[in-house]
Amino acid sequence: MIVDWFTGIGSDRHLFLLAVFLYGVSMIYSVFLWRKGFRRDDRVNYLLLLGAFTLHSTALFQRGFSLNRCPVNNLFEAMVFFTWATTLAYLVIGLMPRLRFVGAFVSPVLFSVGVFALMPSLDPPHGDKPVFSGGLQSLHAATIMLAYGAFGLCAAAAAMFLTQQHNLKFDKLRAMLSLLPSIERLDKVASRLALVGFVLLTIGLAAGGQIPHKEGVVYWKETKVLWSALLWLMYAVLLFGHWRAAFTGRRFAIGLIGIFVFIVLTFWGTNLLSTLHNP
Amino acid sequence: MSIVVVGLSHRTSPVELRERFAFAEAKIPDALQKLRSEGLATEAVILSTCNRVELYIATPNEPAKATRELKQFFASVHAQAEPNGQELYSLHEPHSVHHLFKVACGLDSMVLGETEILGQLKSAYDLALKSGHTGARLNKAFQRAFNVAKQVRTETNIQRGSISVASVAVELAEKIFSTLEGHEVMVIGAGDTSEKTARALLSRGAKSIVVANRSHDRAEVLAKDLGGRAVKFDDWSREFEKVDIAISSTAAPHHILDRAKLEPLMKLRRNRPLLLIDIAVPRDIDPEVNHLDNVYLYNVDDLQSIADDYLGQRKEEIAKCEAIIEEKARAVVQCDVLREEGSVVRGAWCVNPK
Repeated sequence: MIVDWFTGIGSDRHLFLLAVFLYGVSMIYSVFLWRKGFRRDDRVNYLLLLGAFTLHSTALFQRGFSLNRCPVNNLFEAMVFFTWATTLAYLVIGLMPRLRFVGAFVSPVLFSVGVFALMPSLDPPHGDKPVFSGGLQSLHAATIMLAYGAFGLCAAAAAMFLTQQHNLKFDKLRAMLSLLPSIERLDKVASRLALVGFVLLTIGLAAGGQIPHKEGVVYWKETKVLWSALLWLMYAVLLFGHWRAAFTGRRFAIGLIGIFVFIVLTFWGTNLLSTLHNP
Repeated sequence: MSIVVVGLSHRTSPVELRERFAFAEAKIPDALQKLRSEGLATEAVILSTCNRVELYIATPNEPAKATRELKQFFASVHAQAEPNGQELYSLHEPHSVHHLFKVACGLDSMVLGETEILGQLKSAYDLALKSGHTGARLNKAFQRAFNVAKQVRTETNIQRGSISVASVAVELAEKIFSTLEGHEVMVIGAGDTSEKTARALLSRGAKSIVVANRSHDRAEVLAKDLGGRAVKFDDWSREFEKVDIAISSTAAPHHILDRAKLEPLMKLRRNRPLLLIDIAVPRDIDPEVNHLDNVYLYNVDDLQSIADDYLGQRKEEIAKCEAIIEEKARAVVQCDVLREEGSVVRGAWCVNPK
């Protein structure tokens, strides 16, 4: 086993493992940031996640070049792509110094999903034809994963919102000393990311609906389709409620986090039950 | 040649005394000229602010003699009796340079760590420099003082945080709203602190001010003063739909705003964040409203305790500032001693001693 590990040095799984290790370091560092009340500019965490992203990207591209297509062909690849999209989105919005603290909230998600993705059973060797292949499938898988990335990041922004809101109400000095962005800004960032994720999810689901499926499968009764429709509906209700000022502030933030937790907890299970995704 | 300081400050004398010895800006060049023409100083700078009046001079005379003559000058130029020794202090090297650096860093200010004094010190120095009353000694000491003030500002937290109720309120507002631009402020009850807070919010870009007061005349005066508009006291809640920040300081014996009254108003406001600042004692706003989503309530104790905590943190930074000042002041004095002894001193060593 140890020999296998060493012979695998430089492989995409090995590079991804190193990236996940850095996500773990970032998560531990984030605990200290949180305990210190986010008082100093968070460059260290940004650099840690940048380092992880470099390894992560290399792993992703290596897998993609080896397959000659977008590497979203099994659960491992799907999660690698999802976490990569999340990190990329973080690195872009983290260019704004005050939003850099989103990294402290996103790194636990990246680490947990990364560790889960590394389970060997999720990455079976590809046969002649990967589980998901073809242009429409690639579009479907890529947009859905990007949507999950956006949802992950908006859940992190929502967690920041709740932290800052709690401090402003009940731990006032901590709020004053922290460098977290204003809650108005956090609300704006979270709602825009949710909207981007929702649009990507809609495109991804529409593309998925066009993919020819096996005979005998009743599309609208399929587990993953029903799950996706439920997810789409939850985000639609939440965003509509936010626009109509029915879900604002704390309720909106809790809604975003709640739906994302639902995704993380049920994604794998629904995939196992799906005849389309787990033939 | 050594640097001597003689002066009065808020630490040693009351304002009644300081105002008698203050120098009007227009009269400073003449006073500087007089100091030099009478042989009391080779170089001189006069710093005169509301909290201190100080003469900084460079003189070849013995420090004790220079101090005595300066104290006499201080009294005679204002045609006043000489203040006693506790009120009118005098310092000579190395303490004088150390004091100059402390003043520049705001460590000797009434509001610890404030930066206004640095600007005043720069103006005083510029005035003396332009009139040709400074030379190598004071130029170097003052320029080094400005550098030390910058270093202290960047390397310590002595200036971090707001230490007045009004500035804490502004800082809180900026934690809630991305920018204050476009946000309307309501002042309920025209008190002094609420006026100061409203002014501070306006200075940071708040859109406009609405004033409601039991005495409508007073409301109109304040509204005019703040460039806003006055509304009748009984109508304040009708204006609430547009308001994002409300400062309340009425003399009402009961809560004028509670949860039952605010909930429908929040719906009208489409649940936008609302900052409530309750400066009144007894309080105007029921603390229960803080449990409403998107409502942030602060009373005078909250604001004062934040200001006090900040002040406490600034005080904890004093030791760090003192260490920087001590090192830099010693370097300036040692450099000058070496120069006067005729030692070969490399310019760079004096500019940036290690």
